[in-house]
Amino acid sequence: MLNQLGPIIAVLLLICLAASVGAYPIKKLIRIQEAKHELRHGSPGFFRTMSGWIVIAVWVAVTWFFATIIGEWWAIEDLSAAIHRSGRRLELLLRILEALADD
Amino acid sequence: MTESSVIAQADLMCTNCAGQCEYSPRTGALTCKSCATEHVITINPNADPEAEHHYDPDLPHTEQPKFTQDRPYQCETCGGEVIFQGHSISENCPYCNGSLVERPNGESYVTLGMIPFSVGNEQAQDAAHNWVSRRWAAPSDLQSVVSGSNVSGIYVPFWTFDSKEAVNYTVNYKVTRGKKTVMRTDSGFMKTEFDDLLMPASPHVTPLIRDGILHEFEPSNLRPFEPAYLAGFAAERHHQPVREGLRQNAKDKALLLRNRIKKHSGKNSVVDVSYLTDTTGIKYRRILLPVWILHYEYNGTPMKVVTCGLQGRTFGERPFSSVKLLALAALASCAVAAFGFVWGAYNIY
Ligand SMILES: [Zn+2]
Ligand SMILES: [Zn+2]
Repeated sequence: MLNQLGPIIAVLLLICLAASVGAYPIKKLIRIQEAKHELRHGSPGFFRTMSGWIVIAVWVAVTWFFATIIGEWWAIEDLSAAIHRSGRRLELLLRILEALADD
Repeated sequence: MTESSVIAQADLMCTNCAGQCEYSPRTGALTCKSCATEHVITINPNADPEAEHHYDPDLPHTEQPKFTQDRPYQCETCGGEVIFQGHSISENCPYCNGSLVERPNGESYVTLGMIPFSVGNEQAQDAAHNWVSRRWAAPSDLQSVVSGSNVSGIYVPFWTFDSKEAVNYTVNYKVTRGKKTVMRTDSGFMKTEFDDLLMPASPHVTPLIRDGILHEFEPSNLRPFEPAYLAGFAAERHHQPVREGLRQNAKDKALLLRNRIKKHSGKNSVVDVSYLTDTTGIKYRRILLPVWILHYEYNGTPMKVVTCGLQGRTFGERPFSSVKLLALAALASCAVAAFGFVWGAYNIY
């Protein structure tokens, strides 16, 4: 039971950390929503507001990635193995982010 | 503006009751404030409000500002200079609500075309307050802060610019070879044109606000400049020389050019664009467009909400509530972390 406490505390800490830096990406998300609905598509203001949206994707991806490690740690009760196994997931994630950034 | 930019007080006098007339966006006529009689505004049938002027940066440009008889007022806060037609002199700046002081007659450039207001005060007021009420993550007291503010109508100077571009460009792009990503370079040539790019000729309306409110601008809707349309409204005259307008417009043009180059190159993962363009056939118009501006102050920061006088589209500046942003961020963090946790726990990948 005590072993299970580590991952739970870790995931709570992760949520606190992600939330504390999350105000900026959330603001960006709202600005993008506004741009999509209110700015003329293809106008300079539209392009300027849309640029930088990758911040949101990075924020989500990083939070998700650390949560997967903690989840696996909780399941197999072995942190170093969980970290070790996250390597290929990280590789896939970076590829997705790179493809998104190019778009 | 020519001498006709000033309308005689007598021309705004109602022939029915000798009251004062103002331009009415609802009817498109001069309407008497006392007896509501409508007086049709006659415009010069020979004027061509859509006419464009040529500009060659290599030749001396002959357009000169002209001395005008309309009394300008300058804002002590933002420096904006406005004129009023008829009796409708406001004590406050329509851009920022600062106090106005009268200035000696000055020089400004002739404005050929304009589009008069078709959205009235009440409609604009509703549109502006409605816009504010629909903001996500806005401070809870925002609506009550804004509710004390009223819109004021002003004709804002704008440019339209045309140009032809012959562009030599180089793009750096990424390609994936097996597991590796490599950079490649490609060059090309593209001919493209810009037609009627709208640029505010006043620092008070930003390009972002322009893109939020002027979706429906059509040069074919321009009418000859007619001071009667200004009766009851403020107006800012054209003060920028063409090269200054072009300098302002260059940032927008560069952004649009980069996007067109990316498309033209046909490459997917363009990282970097560099180009040299030969610009010819520059044409411009000086026009006035109608906007309603509502200004308010939130925590000491002046902000504005702008409603287009053509269709009522609204866009503006707004504050965010840091508490609401944090709450939304916490909610999103919980969702993402829970999703990731389950993913890892079931070792999906
Ligand atoms: Zn009358
Ligand atoms: Zn002002």
